[in-house]
Amino acid sequence: MNHIKNVIVGFWRLLQGMYISMLNFLRPKVTERYPENRGKKIYFERFRGMLVMPHNAKNEHKCTACGICQMNCPNGTIKVVSKQEMNEDTGKPSRVLDVYYYDLGTCIYCALCTQTCPQKAIEWNNNFEHAVFERAALVKKLNKDGSRLEPKPAVPKPAATPAGAPAPAETADSAPTPLSATTV
Amino acid sequence: MDKITSILSRQGITVNVVPHGLSVDVPQEKLYSTCSELYGEGGLKYLIDIVGMDYGDTLGVIYYLSRAAGKDVLALRTVTTDTEKPQLLSVCKFWTSAGLYEREVHDYFGITFVNNPDMRRLFLRSDWKGYPLRKNYNAENPVPLRNEAICDMERVPSTVFMMTDSDVEAEGGSIPTISLSMGDTEEKVRNIFEEDEYIVNFGPQHPAMHGVLHLRVSLDGEIIRKVDPNFGYIHRGVEKMCEGYTYPQILHLTDRLDYLSGTINRHGFCLCVENALGIQAPERAQYVRVIFDELTRIASHLLGWGCMAMDMGAITAFIYGMRDREKIMDIFEETAGGRLMAGYSVIGGLAQDFHPDFQKRVKEFIPYMRKMLKEHHLLFTGNPIARGRMDGTGVLPLETAIALGVTGPAGRASGWNNDLRKIAPYAVYDRTSFDVLTRSGGTAFDRYIIRLDEIEQSLRIIEQLIDNIPEGAYAEKTKAIIKLPEGDFFQRVENARGQFTVHITSKGDKTPCRVKFRSPSMTLVSGLKAVADGGKVADLIMNGASFDYVIPCIDR
Amino acid sequence: MSLAGLDITAPFHFGTVTQWFDSWLNSVMPHFWALTIEFILAGVLLLASYAVFALVMIYMERKICGFFQCRLGPDRVGKWGIFQVFADMLKILLKELVTINRADKMLFRLSIFFVILASLCTFAAIPFDKGLQAVDFNMGVFYLLAVSSLGVIGILTAGWASDSKYTMIGAMRSGAQLISYELSAGLALLSIVILSGTMQLSEIVEQQADLWFIFKGHVPAVIAFFIYVIAGHAETNRGPFDLPEAESELTAGYHTEYSGIKFGLFYVAEYVNLFIIAAIASTMFLGGWQPFHIPGWDAFNGIMDYIPPALWFTGKTLACVFLALWVRWSFPRLRIDQLLGLEWKILMPLALINIVLMSLVVLW
Repeated sequence: MNHIKNVIVGFWRLLQGMYISMLNFLRPKVTERYPENRGKKIYFERFRGMLVMPHNAKNEHKCTACGICQMNCPNGTIKVVSKQEMNEDTGKPSRVLDVYYYDLGTCIYCALCTQTCPQKAIEWNNNFEHAVFERAALVKKLNKDGSRLEPKPAVPKPAATPAGAPAPAETADSAPTPLSATTV
Repeated sequence: MDKITSILSRQGITVNVVPHGLSVDVPQEKLYSTCSELYGEGGLKYLIDIVGMDYGDTLGVIYYLSRAAGKDVLALRTVTTDTEKPQLLSVCKFWTSAGLYEREVHDYFGITFVNNPDMRRLFLRSDWKGYPLRKNYNAENPVPLRNEAICDMERVPSTVFMMTDSDVEAEGGSIPTISLSMGDTEEKVRNIFEEDEYIVNFGPQHPAMHGVLHLRVSLDGEIIRKVDPNFGYIHRGVEKMCEGYTYPQILHLTDRLDYLSGTINRHGFCLCVENALGIQAPERAQYVRVIFDELTRIASHLLGWGCMAMDMGAITAFIYGMRDREKIMDIFEETAGGRLMAGYSVIGGLAQDFHPDFQKRVKEFIPYMRKMLKEHHLLFTGNPIARGRMDGTGVLPLETAIALGVTGPAGRASGWNNDLRKIAPYAVYDRTSFDVLTRSGGTAFDRYIIRLDEIEQSLRIIEQLIDNIPEGAYAEKTKAIIKLPEGDFFQRVENARGQFTVHITSKGDKTPCRVKFRSPSMTLVSGLKAVADGGKVADLIMNGASFDYVIPCIDR
Repeated sequence: MSLAGLDITAPFHFGTVTQWFDSWLNSVMPHFWALTIEFILAGVLLLASYAVFALVMIYMERKICGFFQCRLGPDRVGKWGIFQVFADMLKILLKELVTINRADKMLFRLSIFFVILASLCTFAAIPFDKGLQAVDFNMGVFYLLAVSSLGVIGILTAGWASDSKYTMIGAMRSGAQLISYELSAGLALLSIVILSGTMQLSEIVEQQADLWFIFKGHVPAVIAFFIYVIAGHAETNRGPFDLPEAESELTAGYHTEYSGIKFGLFYVAEYVNLFIIAAIASTMFLGGWQPFHIPGWDAFNGIMDYIPPALWFTGKTLACVFLALWVRWSFPRLRIDQLLGLEWKILMPLALINIVLMSLVVLW
């Protein structure tokens, strides 16, 4: 008798399972129709897609080529090439950014670069369509051609760092060497 | 702890008190007898981890021991001065889990553990040159491009020390202090499988191996005779990489160990560094971290549930689990910017303040999850086919679970109350009320159902915290270059699979001298090995899924 | 061309067409040639419809599976992805055929034909409409059972010949499973044979003109229907009985080592087998191509008659297929001992008792 009861209860449970799957059969589907919904918002603004260097209307960026991002990057993804240039205001030669290389192929999206940048010169955008046909195309140049450092406003405001953000690094000499040869 | 102190002082060992418990140095000839007394009399039944160390002129091993449900941890260190052919006595007679841990230390440091029956390399190939975590390791050409010999997984070397039980009895039952320099060791080689056994490879490429685990299974028809797990197919040398990274840089590696509980692992590493620095994350950060941890746990359990259903043939359940998990991933992406690798905790707090919509979204998620949980139960828990397969299969008794170190939901299913959120609370867990669920059966069904029940408990925790997140800073200020004070630091956290521990040895530099992560998944695989014998092929796959291991966490 | 024999006043069915075609052929050529042409035509039509049904089944499975799983299923090739199966077939034709080094080459190739042949032979016996049936013996049910069990030979040889341990285990499982479930499937059909008193499929369908057997046969027919559906699922290696190809245990079971079109033929045979099982269930229990009639309700029956019989048949069969998919995508897989226990401890005794019950019903 118990056996028959078990069979009936089991059959009822099977029907319950089938009810759930039928419920989902009739529900709206969750599939993202990707290329069609390109224009719509399918990601969030904080999503770390790709490192970019914002430029203002006058083709100026904020990067002072201090190299802190390069030193903090665990994978050697960032390479900051600087050059000496005569500063017109002071008349002294100063170090300015020449090329800012960013290798998308090795980036691990840890966001240490943007967290530690004292000038907030680099940030993430939402672009996730990274695929290219050759590896060399993954190495991006972030600063635009002919761009220059944004001059500091006359009354320098205190850096708008949110409370508790890691303080900008002052000492660059003791920076870690990135594991360039990751043989381990 | 008084008992432990008295045992140790009886052996003539000085005891140091450290934040996580006790720390002692044991000379190697006293190691075996001390461990024997700590295990028997002291009741330290749970070996958390074994950490190999290279101090330059000496090689050392740190054993982290604890009671089965104890808060305090005993760090027992022993060193050997012989770096040419270092030998230590194995403790796997007391703690079965030591078998695998000692293999790992052997693999990295070349220490041979005498009396461990299996001294193969664990992660690296058997023809690997040198021991990579030694400080004088030469990384050039560690593996010949062409195999010198066919990698023989069959032959198991071991070193045996001639000490029989009659010797012990001759000493009146107490274990004598043993000096390995007596030279009574003998090297042996045995085969795992017999010539005529029907051996089937499950993995490294197999739909049900959750990654690249390699199980060699000896079959008798459908019945499993023996299982031999092989690791190392996704070994990335994380611990070696850590030695070249600064502490903030290591953080992103912790996400990539157990990618399904990456947020919790990261939290654990942050806690370890913060404790070492003597700082504490602000309240706000602690609340958000706990909410994130619990969301991660829910996501991981949902995937574990789905994978178990899929391994039993119900693919639809897997998709439902994935669908619900997607909601959590969206919450992560909105606040942290990453989905699987959220990368949200940093040393001192959080990377950024949470998104304005965060609380709203989480509060929407809780009732949704409760509703879906009911559906999941209806779909799968009651199903007579599933119950017929899960009930009574793969029984892992409590003693075996503790001896093997099977922590987390799998251990709790066997009745081992090992939830660190309760027994050694970190962050704000002590301010929340939730139940640690334990079951007594230890069957596959217990391991299955405990995950779904823990989702409910996690929802409870989130519910209590989400409206009470205090205002204030989200991160403590840290120096730009973080340098830890000299010493050993240890932190345990409860991730979705069990106890994840971080051991850091610092020499005061900006990079650590040694970092060791305890992988909860590794002991889960030995749990699978323990329950698989005598079952059917289908049971092996289902039990594997019920332990819910993550292979990148094992291989590191 | 003479239209003699084509009675336009009778309700349209394919029997009239085929009879008319037969008599026309015989009137223009010798009997031998007429037969040859008819055989070739029937064979070509059968193969073509076999392929078409396979494609329809595959598309249906993928789409319905997607819907059960909160997905959309294929929707890229053509509107709603209807050309996806054609694209897949094209791709599978272009794939390299890999043969394992130490495989038994002859059996490795032969096994596919066993599987295909078995399902094709069974397919031929299905009455799609009145007269639209390639094989109509007076012992059609017996023929069905005989040829459908040939497929297991193909599966066993495939598993054996592949020289792989996974395929071997899969083949052994399928051997145990298919032969066991053959029994209760046969016994379930037998109870309908008892009810109808004939083994001829066309005759069985004719007898259901007033009421379908599942209603006519009282409780035993309902039980027999469920037994047949369960055993049929098991015979087609479909979930929850897909042990021979359990993908989470044996990667793909007996066809692990097959690639390209060789795998494709296994795949096609599996789906046509699904269709065949559903078709036999609807023929034997749900009245085949007969419309839904209720004795006494003549007006209702008249309306039902307006729906063409072929549509009735397809509709019922697809409903049975949908049930199979619903079950497959809801339940986990059985373990081998559960599977055999279900057959030998529940279904078999039940089917035997059911036969006795059915005999009592018929006698009464």
